[in-house]
Amino acid sequence: MSEPGGEIHVQQLHKRFGRHEVLRGLDLDVPAGSIFGFLGLNGAGKTTLIRMLLGLLRPDAGHCQVAGLDPRTDALEVRRRVGYMAENQTMYAWMRVGQLIHWLARFYPTWDPTLAEQLRRQMHLDADAKVGTLSKGQASRLALLLALAHRPRIVILDDPTLGLDPVARRDFLRDVIGHLQEAGVTVFFSSHLLYEIEPICDQVAILHDGKIIKSAPVDKLRESVKRVVMQPKEGARLPSLASILDADSRDGTWALTVENVEAVRGPLTSMSRDGLRLVDLNLDEIFEAYVTGRREELHA
Amino acid sequence: MFIRIENSSAVPVYRQIVDQIKYQVANGSLRPGDRLPSVRELAKRLPVNQNTVLKAYDLLAGEGLLSRRQGDGTFVEDAPSALKKSQRVRQVSAILAQAAAQAVHFQIGPTELHDLLDREIQTLSRGGQTNE
Repeated sequence: MSEPGGEIHVQQLHKRFGRHEVLRGLDLDVPAGSIFGFLGLNGAGKTTLIRMLLGLLRPDAGHCQVAGLDPRTDALEVRRRVGYMAENQTMYAWMRVGQLIHWLARFYPTWDPTLAEQLRRQMHLDADAKVGTLSKGQASRLALLLALAHRPRIVILDDPTLGLDPVARRDFLRDVIGHLQEAGVTVFFSSHLLYEIEPICDQVAILHDGKIIKSAPVDKLRESVKRVVMQPKEGARLPSLASILDADSRDGTWALTVENVEAVRGPLTSMSRDGLRLVDLNLDEIFEAYVTGRREELHA
Repeated sequence: MFIRIENSSAVPVYRQIVDQIKYQVANGSLRPGDRLPSVRELAKRLPVNQNTVLKAYDLLAGEGLLSRRQGDGTFVEDAPSALKKSQRVRQVSAILAQAAAQAVHFQIGPTELHDLLDREIQTLSRGGQTNE
């Protein structure tokens, strides 16, 4: 499914705003045809990266490639091949839905009016409605329509479900599966709501401290990251293993969140009085362990 | 076929689909020969990634519970499980181990636990849904 280099390929990207270093050596590879979840806390730099992918912002150092092109030199061509839906996208409120669709069509040589009309009907958008009168859910569907109608090979969605109610959110995800995955489009989906994007993603990457600290298929992440609960033997000391993301001790019991269960099973079992109890974690808990995990020194 | 995905669950999505289809086959709400929704259809309905549905269907097909006929669809199989007896026993034991631990935790004695299990088996054979 993935071609070498991927549809989006980022290498050692750096960006600084004044004193604030937002990205510090970010590496990323998005396989063609995948739905890729891009996770990070608010302010982690998700939108900064996206703006660089579209050629709207120049990196201080590093390299990116989108649909085989360099956004620094080929920004216009990149934007023709990429559908982009911005966070809280503002559209011309005074225009009618039909007018806006018609007007935007002129900017894209590959615009498909038949597809635009088909999407408008499927998304139940009234062509005569004023854009300013649409509900948040309707507005996000319109933004998705506008991002899709020029048949892009990559679609970048920047926190698209922000501010949507649960029903509108579900409908939106359904559109992503129905219209994009079925068409083989690569989807790069940024969000801070992990549990929400998990079911629709092939793979997720976690952005923290200006770097991708983890990038893996969703199922692999769940299989390898576990909480280990154990009663340490007298005098046991928690070894400093790289795969321990978070360590907590309470009433003589250790609760450890580990990244690679199989790698630590041996050493931990030998330190335990009662063996190891493994607990499955949901994606929110996994994310939290990576982003805010503390590796404290533990003594029994 | 009704499938419900719990988003914040610690159980992976493909597992949730596998478990619910198994349950529906066990209680007879899905019968041998029944056609399941296509991967695309179910993916869009839930909504989950198509590859997740595909993974669940492939897993069930591997266990002999479903058959995937090229170009025709996915059907509930009548054949005995494709898994070895020892593998089937291991899978069920793992689940019972959890149930036993919970029973101890909630101070439910062995006799009562056996009764509860009997009752669940009866509910299944009557085609019932889970109670409570």
